[in-house]
Amino acid sequence: MRFMVIVKATPESEKEGALPDPQLLAEMGKFNEELIKAGVVLAMDGLHPSSKGARVKFSGKDRTIIDGPFTEAKELVAGFWIWQVKSLEEAIEWAKRCPNPHDSDSEIEIRQVFEMEDFAPVLTEEQIQHKVTKRAELPLQTANK
Amino acid sequence: MRFMVIVKSTPGAEKEGALPDPQLLIEMGAYNEELVKAGVLLACDGLHPSSKGARVKFSGKSRTVIDGPFTEAKELIAGFSILQVKSLEEAIEWVKRAPNCNPTGESEVEVRQIFEMEDFAPILTEEQIQHKVAKRAELPLQTANR
Repeated sequence: MRFMVIVKATPESEKEGALPDPQLLAEMGKFNEELIKAGVVLAMDGLHPSSKGARVKFSGKDRTIIDGPFTEAKELVAGFWIWQVKSLEEAIEWAKRCPNPHDSDSEIEIRQVFEMEDFAPVLTEEQIQHKVTKRAELPLQTANK
Repeated sequence: MRFMVIVKSTPGAEKEGALPDPQLLIEMGAYNEELVKAGVLLACDGLHPSSKGARVKFSGKSRTVIDGPFTEAKELIAGFSILQVKSLEEAIEWVKRAPNCNPTGESEVEVRQIFEMEDFAPILTEEQIQHKVAKRAELPLQTANR
């Protein structure tokens, strides 16, 4: 099963031009090496503060753009992994061993990723296989192993 | 530059056992094929409702686990893609052309720039940066800046 493991932002990580603390990068690097040895990590990335981002609101056919930064840091994503594990429980156990991603209190959210086969109730087998094929062609797409 | 395009959830998408509308899946598939043809799409995935997820709160050395589901659908993520483009403006232009993920109502997409290891030059040595780049290149399915 694949899970997206989402590191929520904090006011500190959201500061304009903020870079991760080098000590945290080192600790997180060690944790990532354990995850990699265990064959768990499929992908991972960190995100620049939301001042370098934007939001697009969709309403019917309307599109409205709002430039960052955005308030409510704890609703924002600071980084993520995609993990391959046997269960939500296993993902939670790994997440508990993660160094605190920030100096202050912080939160990680763990969410199961849809596999194309999960769409069997709403798509035909042919449509599902088409999607699986298309995804396999993406230059760098994580997929269930 | 790489950008993460984060599709925010809606109450409909958060319903227990919710699956995307098949028509939306088809339209999103067609849109994604345009992105692929343009060489822009590196990855994309959808997420099950938060009832199948959990949160881990970190406070000092303590870890508290909270099971989903979570309230405030619009703070939750329903899916994401990773785009390779020249600028935030180009990413926004692509996102504006996406189907509305909530065809009968409103939805929101957030576009965020992804850190490349070279961005850490102010705080890491060149050697540390190259180590990180090499480690990532070994990951089975890591997207990387081209």
